[in-house]
Amino acid sequence: MAGGQIEKLVKYKSTVKDPGTPGFLRIREGMLLFVPNDPKSDSKLKVLTQNIKSQKYTKEGSNKPPWLNLTNKQAKSHIFEFENYPDMHACRDFITKALAKCELEPNKSVVSTSSEQLSIKELELRFKLLRENSELQRLHKQFVESKVLTEDEFWATRKKLLGKDSIRKSKQQLGLKSMMVSGIKPSTDGRTNRVTFNLTPEIIFQIFAEKPAVRQAFINYVPSKMTEKDFWTKYFRAEYLYSTKNTAVAAAEAAEDEELAVFLKPDEILARETRHKIRRVDPTLDMEADQGDDYTHLMDHGIQRDGTMDVVEPQNDQFKRSLLQDLNRHAAVVLEGRSIDVESEDTRIVAEALTRVKQVSKADGETTKDANQERLERMSRVAGMEDLQAPQNFPLAPLSIKDPRDYFESQQGNVLNVPRGAKGLKRNVHEAYGLLKESILEIRATGLSDPLIKPEVSFEVFSSLTRTIATAKNINGKNPRESFLDRLPKSTKDEVLHHWTSIQELLKHFWSSYPITTTYLHTKVGKLKDAMSNTYSKLEAMKESVQSDLRHQVSLLVRPMQQALDAAFHHYEVDLQRRTAKSGERPNGYV
Amino acid sequence: MIFKIEDVTVYFPYDNIYPEQYEYMVELKRALDAKGHCLLEMPTGTGKTIALLSLITSYRLSRPDSPIKLVYCTRTVHEMEKTLGELKLLHDYQVRHLGTQAKILALGLSSRKNLCVNTKVLAAENRDSVDAACRKRTASWVRALSTENPNVELCDFFENYEKAAENALLPPGVYTLEDLRAFGKNRGWCPYFLARHMIQFANVIVYSYQYLLDPKVAGFISKELQKESVVVFDEAHNIDNVCIEALSVSVRRVTLEGANRNLNKIRQEIDRFKATDAGRLRAEYNRLVEGLALRGDLSGGDQWLANPALPHDILKEAVPGNIRRAEHFVHVLRRLLQYLGVRLDTENVEKESPVSFVSSLNSQAGIEQKTLKFCYDRLQSLMLTLEITDTDEFLPIQTVCDFATLVGTYARGFSIIIEPYDERMPHIPDPILQLSCHDASLAIKPVFDRFQSVVITSGTLSPIDLYPRLLNFTPVVSRSFKMSMTRDCICPMVLTRGSDQLPVSTKFDMRSDPGVVRNYGKLLVEMVSIVPDGVVCFFVSYSYMDGIIATWNETGILKEIMQQKLVFIETQDVVETTLALDNYRRACDCGRGAVFFSVARGKVAEGIDFDRHYGRLVVMYGVPFQYTLSKILRARLEYLHDTFQIKEGDFLTFDALRQAAQCVGRVIRSKADYGMMIFADKRYSRHDKRSKLPGWILSHLRDAHLNLSTDMAIHIAREFLRKMAQPYDKAGTMGRKTLLTQEDLEKMAETGVQDMAY
Repeated sequence: MAGGQIEKLVKYKSTVKDPGTPGFLRIREGMLLFVPNDPKSDSKLKVLTQNIKSQKYTKEGSNKPPWLNLTNKQAKSHIFEFENYPDMHACRDFITKALAKCELEPNKSVVSTSSEQLSIKELELRFKLLRENSELQRLHKQFVESKVLTEDEFWATRKKLLGKDSIRKSKQQLGLKSMMVSGIKPSTDGRTNRVTFNLTPEIIFQIFAEKPAVRQAFINYVPSKMTEKDFWTKYFRAEYLYSTKNTAVAAAEAAEDEELAVFLKPDEILARETRHKIRRVDPTLDMEADQGDDYTHLMDHGIQRDGTMDVVEPQNDQFKRSLLQDLNRHAAVVLEGRSIDVESEDTRIVAEALTRVKQVSKADGETTKDANQERLERMSRVAGMEDLQAPQNFPLAPLSIKDPRDYFESQQGNVLNVPRGAKGLKRNVHEAYGLLKESILEIRATGLSDPLIKPEVSFEVFSSLTRTIATAKNINGKNPRESFLDRLPKSTKDEVLHHWTSIQELLKHFWSSYPITTTYLHTKVGKLKDAMSNTYSKLEAMKESVQSDLRHQVSLLVRPMQQALDAAFHHYEVDLQRRTAKSGERPNGYV
Repeated sequence: MIFKIEDVTVYFPYDNIYPEQYEYMVELKRALDAKGHCLLEMPTGTGKTIALLSLITSYRLSRPDSPIKLVYCTRTVHEMEKTLGELKLLHDYQVRHLGTQAKILALGLSSRKNLCVNTKVLAAENRDSVDAACRKRTASWVRALSTENPNVELCDFFENYEKAAENALLPPGVYTLEDLRAFGKNRGWCPYFLARHMIQFANVIVYSYQYLLDPKVAGFISKELQKESVVVFDEAHNIDNVCIEALSVSVRRVTLEGANRNLNKIRQEIDRFKATDAGRLRAEYNRLVEGLALRGDLSGGDQWLANPALPHDILKEAVPGNIRRAEHFVHVLRRLLQYLGVRLDTENVEKESPVSFVSSLNSQAGIEQKTLKFCYDRLQSLMLTLEITDTDEFLPIQTVCDFATLVGTYARGFSIIIEPYDERMPHIPDPILQLSCHDASLAIKPVFDRFQSVVITSGTLSPIDLYPRLLNFTPVVSRSFKMSMTRDCICPMVLTRGSDQLPVSTKFDMRSDPGVVRNYGKLLVEMVSIVPDGVVCFFVSYSYMDGIIATWNETGILKEIMQQKLVFIETQDVVETTLALDNYRRACDCGRGAVFFSVARGKVAEGIDFDRHYGRLVVMYGVPFQYTLSKILRARLEYLHDTFQIKEGDFLTFDALRQAAQCVGRVIRSKADYGMMIFADKRYSRHDKRSKLPGWILSHLRDAHLNLSTDMAIHIAREFLRKMAQPYDKAGTMGRKTLLTQEDLEKMAETGVQDMAY
């Protein structure tokens, strides 16, 4: 932003129909000022940037003059007509940057002051989410309304839902359209013989990618020799000549106009690329090698006209290019995908970037000998017949992703088929744990080896895990389909599940608050701890209240939750102690 | 797995084997035992090549006292590479199990263009110029000259190879062309001459048909193969065409013009030699008087295409007196060119037998039959004497001499046809004089005579009794194998109508009907939206494909297809087609999916596999008949009718259907693979046409699938694809074993092969 200010000659219009007041537009970071040439005119204008809601502008190449349309928050629009497109683009870019800055600022303020400056839209979104998700609503009610968490804290962990992050995330690269460039049809006004082509950056990119000669010509000629518009006019003139299939006319025009001839001649850059690529082609496909081997097709030897080979009019005319070639070329380019990451409106930048990418990939192809090796490997892989060989992969148990419990249940049969006492089981679990620990130690000592974990170890660990889970079910599962949770009374089940989600929520906030650096976090942790101990006692109460035959199982379910909470409490205590000890040392220390 | 077939222990590089592979080996072994020829048809996708290679190499191992050599002929270079790839796998396996005694030397052989490593020579564009560029650096007189003049450029690789002399040997192993090049580069030896030299030591040679069938090529490459060789022609359904092509020559206007220029050049050279080195021409004359056409042994670099006539038809006598002197020979050739020029000036199509052609040549130009016959030898001798190295420049005169030699040698089985223009393009005058061979048995006869076993095998040899007649031999074994299917992994359909119930066909009067074109397009649009990965379409001819794609482009059908899949097309430019294929495969690999448009009888249909995800559906648009009004085809049909009593219609249908079967057969490679085949023409629903398809396709063609419209075909395709996506038992179910293990084979050996369940 050189100078932080930009000034352009424009015409200001309050509506589309308005003929416009000439003057100049001065844009600074914070605001936008229009000063009419005629000092008597009352159309002087001042707009603060943060009041601008959106901007629209006319596309280059359309036959409208370059207009920039700014809409402010009161939905009033200001239209500026520029003298030319570059001016407009410069202003547009400037405003875009200024707008982005304005957007950032309110965000900052939210974090620092935690004030609730939310747009109505955002609030609506939050309400909508709460309405749609009852579980979320319940959590919200429980924690926010009881002031354990603030509204912001609650939503801060759910940015994804609000769609904020998705804006920041890098977009997935779009591929190319599969439509042919030659498919763009000109529009006619119906009265005269004039035709109009609408070129978008997308189309230009595709033309450049498919026709390197055109790209090169653009770099050479524009803007030194001709304007961009002239360039494209010539290009489409050449395309038109192709489509008429009148090679004589094409040849004649090419002879007169050397720039036009560039488009009509066969593409040499392409031919070079082709020669380069053919050397790297899979030898089992290489039909060019056949041609070099085929002595029956010595000139005039063999049978010429027996009707097996069919005749096509000679294609060697240099001003003729077939649709089939275009199709092949197009498909190859689409397959290659978008190789550059330039989101520019400027055609020249696109052209240059493409040329660079091509050169790099060519250099790569020359330096890497691996390609050849890989080609040979692929060949030997393909040579084998797959179903005569022993299967390469190991037998797998079908894994149902819908409900992980099903997996363990399906494995239960395998595991329990092995007769074994309860003692054996216990020992096995420990053994498995021991094995796992050992191998982790080993990894620590020696680093990663090729099979990350020995198959025996992983098998042992898995089977004992499966067994433990399976036995839990086996003990009380008269009906194998029924899981334990289903046997609890509905209210208890719901309660357990709800506790689980709320504990998760609390713990998430709790652990993310560490290390405590501000007083704000300190009070937050305090609140969280209270809420957690509250939940803890609720769990205890629930354990007491269930029927005696279920109590054991419920306590099994509750135990991990309590353990998690205990760990949090413990951490809280330790931290507190450390903190008091510290503050004892430094009486002036901040918390 | 290792198992026994009678007294031979077979080493097979996989854990399982298909029952038909086993049977194939049994039959093949019988033929080898009987030292006779055989004809075996086995469906594509059942591992013919590996069965064949593993039996023959195992057979060799079991008879260490009389080692046989395997000469494996493929149609194309890429098939050659594929075969060598499989052989590598097998060789590794055998060496692993048997140790060094199983080591063999196997190599592929191709032209200089594909083997040369000298970058300067390779810069030449086509094969002929590469050959000439090589000769310029390796001919004996060039090398002799370089000892005096250090500025003469030689090829280092060739010089090193010559220096190494007897020590230039390839260690045992399997060498693809790529491997040969790498080896040559590494050692600094010329891979081409090394490979040609190693032919006599190799246990397995893989090369193209022409290296054995075409006398011009076989004459200098395959001369020294021993009788105890097994010759295999793989994918041999077109072998008759290769045979007749090898003996056919044609002459055009450009040929005559070029030949005239060549003669002027030769004339100048003769004059130059007369002035500077007259002794050389005299020496040649004396040699010819003594009856020697060629100077005994030629060094490798001097050899050039051999006599176009078959070895036993070449006269072993002295060159007639009237062409012994170089100038006289040039005069004779001038008269010949003049006569041919007059004949080309015809307004009408003329057809003649060689006998009457020779007699009118004698009366009008005064050239006798015997003189004609020696044209090739005389030219060869003259060119060597004149030390001409740029052989590519002299192709036209060689063509004319080849023509003269052939027309002078053969009176039967040939005809001469002169056409002022191609009948399909009457507005373009392009006169051509063609000497065309009709009898496929001529070219292959020396092969049958010379080698103890010749195996002709392919996926489509139906009707199998026709081939022995066409090629005139008696096989000791002639069998067609069925395919044992684990599941119905192929789904052939005959589509006769579009969704609007209008019939579709490429019959001449219907093919450009907009309704047919639209229905063909709609079929593909619907299919690409339901078939995953690769789809291949074959059209009856190049011009038809060109036309139909242009129409689809205009009517927006192509756009609809492109929304689903990328489109790649076979063009007449081989390089472009190769790249298109490579891209097609990549599009299938990455999951984008693609359609490939190709032509029946084209290069792609001939040898590219569309197995697995590279081809889940093949659409054959129309019946690929030859252009039946072609004069050459007429003449051939007449000859077949007169000599072999083969009916015209039968032969045409047979030929069209073998091409169609060949096209659709490309989709399947193993039993784990699956694919659909759509025959889109109402004529396929007729029994006389359909019944010519190979049995393995017919057995899957259900009656309900014989007369489908587009919507019905879509429905069937959906069902089929859904079914194929399910897991299945590879070993086959309910007593029908489709995959045999070692155990099964041992059990079978006890009870006898007959129990094998199909």
